[in-house]
Amino acid sequence: MKREAIEQALLEWMRSKSPVADDARFQTLALALFAHQFEHCGAYARFCAGRGVLPDTIKGWQEIPAVPTGAFKELTLTSFPAQESQHVFRTSGTSTATRGELHLDTLELYEASLLASFRHALFPDLDDDTKARILVLAPSRQAVPDSSLSHMFGSAIERFGDTESHHFVRDGALETARLRQAIERIPTDRPVLVCGTAFSFVHWLDALTDADTRLKLPANVRIMETGGYKGRARERSQDELYAEIEAILGVPAQRIVNQYGMTELGSQFYDSVLVDPAGPRRKLTPAWTRVRFDDPRTGHEVAPDQFGTIRILDLANTGSVCAIQTADLGRSIGTGFEVAGRELGAEERGCSIAADLLLGDAT
Amino acid sequence: MNPAEIASALDDIRSAGEALRQRSARSVHESLCEFFAHWSNPLARGRRELEAALPGATGLHPKTAREGLDRGLNHWDAAAFRGLVDRELGPEAPVAIGLRSTAVLLAGEIPMPSLLSIVAPLALRSPVVVKSGSRDPVTATIVQRSLASVAPDLAPALCVLPPIQSSAALAALLEADCIVATGSDATIATIGAQLRPTQRFVAAGHRFSIAVIGDEALRANRVGDIAERLAIDIAMWDQQGCLSPIAIFAISEDPHAADRLSEHLAQALANAEAQWPLGHVDDAAAARLASERAEAEMRSASDPAVTLLSDPEHRFAVVREADARMRPAPLHRFVRVHPQETPAALLAWLRPFAQHLAAVALAGFGRNEAPFANALVEAGASRVCVPGTLQAPPIDWRHEGRGVLAPLACFADVEI
Repeated sequence: MKREAIEQALLEWMRSKSPVADDARFQTLALALFAHQFEHCGAYARFCAGRGVLPDTIKGWQEIPAVPTGAFKELTLTSFPAQESQHVFRTSGTSTATRGELHLDTLELYEASLLASFRHALFPDLDDDTKARILVLAPSRQAVPDSSLSHMFGSAIERFGDTESHHFVRDGALETARLRQAIERIPTDRPVLVCGTAFSFVHWLDALTDADTRLKLPANVRIMETGGYKGRARERSQDELYAEIEAILGVPAQRIVNQYGMTELGSQFYDSVLVDPAGPRRKLTPAWTRVRFDDPRTGHEVAPDQFGTIRILDLANTGSVCAIQTADLGRSIGTGFEVAGRELGAEERGCSIAADLLLGDAT
Repeated sequence: MNPAEIASALDDIRSAGEALRQRSARSVHESLCEFFAHWSNPLARGRRELEAALPGATGLHPKTAREGLDRGLNHWDAAAFRGLVDRELGPEAPVAIGLRSTAVLLAGEIPMPSLLSIVAPLALRSPVVVKSGSRDPVTATIVQRSLASVAPDLAPALCVLPPIQSSAALAALLEADCIVATGSDATIATIGAQLRPTQRFVAAGHRFSIAVIGDEALRANRVGDIAERLAIDIAMWDQQGCLSPIAIFAISEDPHAADRLSEHLAQALANAEAQWPLGHVDDAAAARLASERAEAEMRSASDPAVTLLSDPEHRFAVVREADARMRPAPLHRFVRVHPQETPAALLAWLRPFAQHLAAVALAGFGRNEAPFANALVEAGASRVCVPGTLQAPPIDWRHEGRGVLAPLACFADVEI
């Protein structure tokens, strides 16, 4: 199956009213995509061949070799000619640190994937005739064109947002005054999303605390936070952050959605709280993805409910490699999964330093 | 313990300190000489107790823990301690005394720096309150018991707290007159921000070590021996300490020198595994290791200058790199061997990391070794030693470029 046919099938799937999981469809597309990427991405083919895995030797998607996220910093992993690259997303980091890159020759599939998941998880109550209010605590995609997160927010505003949906970070600073005015104008007749990185929320909460201000955002407001702190703000655990959000913004945890995503992936994973309020909080997996958990010592899948390193098969990654191995730990929960939080305040190893801190590129 | 209990413990220890300060410095030093005579003996009760407790508490393999203690403590005897005192507080020095109380916040899982941090204030007649680290909850209490047995006159001046959970309790502990802490730059900054200018703060930040091997040690007839020594430096404490080398630089114009060293080092680490097995690796660390191995594997598939050498059980990994670029160090016996053309190139590479450099194991530079060692000191190293001895620092090693006792002391010149 050629890439065009794979992408057409995926687009139909993503744009359907309620994309449902379909194991047979997934299997067929995954194996076809692996064969395509093996053929067209030399670095990936050599990696797979080194492990004795070829497209005609595997029977199921579970056997597709996964590429570690760090490889995106070292190699250009594209399954199309380099000169056809239309867009590059880069991982965060300092200007001197090497950053991972995701090259795209088309944004069509990327945006179809992100918009489908965004709407499903954050606007399950949005009807087709209504535009939501989206307030973004992150810079615009014009300001940071290589940020996949800013691109996502910009695409979401374009597709779902009303005319007063805006970004509120400029030149690296949160525009608290503008944000205050926007908060005062929040409507109650449509879904409202306040979204951004965790450290932007921390800055906002700190500013409100300094001003001795408490808000009571209405019940139609939901919050989405993502990313870590990257050493740039006072860190909180997720529980601490959510407790502060509830105390200062008046939004309870049941309306706070965490997003798990990364530059190297075309898809994102959102908490289930708005979609399934009665169920356990878990990350929802789009129908075109599969997530499994491996024992980091053996590479074998762990038992259900056990923590393992998160391995993702993302069919939206047609232009690079679809199987990604993260260094994060997680475990399955029902139809979704949870990501193990880093133990905040965990003592460091005495006097020795982790070289990723030396690199100024906390992961 | 709640903040009030910690405040009370500080008051109690200050009272004990008053009694300690009535004694002469010489008599206190003699008691500590007895202590170090005990601890330098592998058959001594304290050593055996620590050797038995460390594996369960830290995950280290018993054989590795024992070897690490032998290498680290056997030479920290009474004479070595006397030498430390003479060097830093000797007869030519002004009068020195510690502060009214010292709080020691331990971190990491290597017991030698913890032991020294605990008893060093006592040498200055400053009573000590100790907060153990989560990675090593046993050393402090064993040292306390040992002190009570070997130097009972000093025991009332040492208090080891149960684990502290709350920031309020920690804040109470930070009311001590002198704070000794180890941790990341962020941790040090957080603690420092809570202290008053009148308090003494002795901080040890995060550090790393490297090995630098020159042509004379990279020749076929020597490289095996060097590799065995480097394997000891890497294997001890499962590479968890600041003296554990995270990278090795092969300085040579011979394009095969780094390959030779990498192959021999892999064999040497396999030998080391047989003698001193790798201990427990928690899930998060195992995930990082797996990620770095896979990344090296992927790069090696596309670049013949990169080689991943590892055992099937993943008990160690050597990555022969194509360049000197700094890459993540997941530790637990994972090391990179970088080619580097000249000593000057290495020094230039070190420049951005100077403030975090601890020690350098150096070999193979012949007549140029001493000048190169001096250059490494100027580049930030506080210790330059031969491979195989990184994990056996002298008791008076000037960690952080400072002394062991002097940073804790108030010196006074008496001119009458």
